[in-house]
Amino acid sequence: MLAKYYRSFKHDLDQRGIIFSFSGYLSEEILYSLGNALRHKMTLEDANVNTVKKVFSVFVEQAQNIIRYSAEKLAGDVGKTVELSSGMVTIGTENNRFFIVCANVVLAADEPKLRERLERLRAMDKDAIKAYYKEQLREAPEEQSRGATIGLIEIARRATDPIEFDFDRIDPESFFFCMKVSI
Amino acid sequence: MDNLTIAGTERSPHVDFDFVEGRLSLKGESYPEDASAVFGPIFAALERFLATAGTRQVQVDFDLTYFNSSSAKALMNMFQLLDRAAAAGTPVAVSWFYSPDDDTMKEFGEDFSEDLEHVAFALVAVESAA
Repeated sequence: MLAKYYRSFKHDLDQRGIIFSFSGYLSEEILYSLGNALRHKMTLEDANVNTVKKVFSVFVEQAQNIIRYSAEKLAGDVGKTVELSSGMVTIGTENNRFFIVCANVVLAADEPKLRERLERLRAMDKDAIKAYYKEQLREAPEEQSRGATIGLIEIARRATDPIEFDFDRIDPESFFFCMKVSI
Repeated sequence: MDNLTIAGTERSPHVDFDFVEGRLSLKGESYPEDASAVFGPIFAALERFLATAGTRQVQVDFDLTYFNSSSAKALMNMFQLLDRAAAAGTPVAVSWFYSPDDDTMKEFGEDFSEDLEHVAFALVAVESAA
């Protein structure tokens, strides 16, 4: 039963074209290891060097967004101060393209601003996104933000199509936020 | 002033700052948890150096293969500092190295150079870029 259960679980992931999916508490070390595995796998399969770079870049920005902004965090002292952020990152292929999906819990209070940022990027073409990126590079960082805007613009810049996103309400205080990028 | 050398890590660039030669170089990848912790000391050393550089030639080499958006922001701050120093009379030359098949790093070099009015900027395609 055990093997049957997990074989079916793995089969389901494979059917969806998933290369890997991480769900749980993310750290910078995990980001580094997963990112390297991703690059190696793509390179071994002869993906175009620029495609590898784009997928890696979107993966890093999405994972760092989860690490910084997930509303589900564990912090404490284990000999040193650690902060772990819960979320999900999934990478796969469909229709001859790579896709990268990230998901995490966001506070309801933060939802309108995040939605507005993403809507704004969706309405822009590639040239407008590039100009917006440069404008944000020159600006001083926003209050309360360790670079969220520039990270989202970087993602939009590497994406082949506009970023897909959605919010699913969990309770009055929080949403499950999800973003999908294709390359 | 002693030279500044910061060993590269898996997620931060190798830094060499030779104050006698007036040469700063950054090499590798940059996507640290905290970009200001990595770039703060480089920026501070550059600021101190430029304050007394006068008309000495300054050479800055960027040989980066990947950086995240918060590192891009820190790089932009460095370019703005370099351009201000160049405007004030210090000859500053920047070389931006990239692998010929790497469109992203080439485009970043072009983007940064567009904002520079006084720095002599060279985009250099190198087969063996890190």
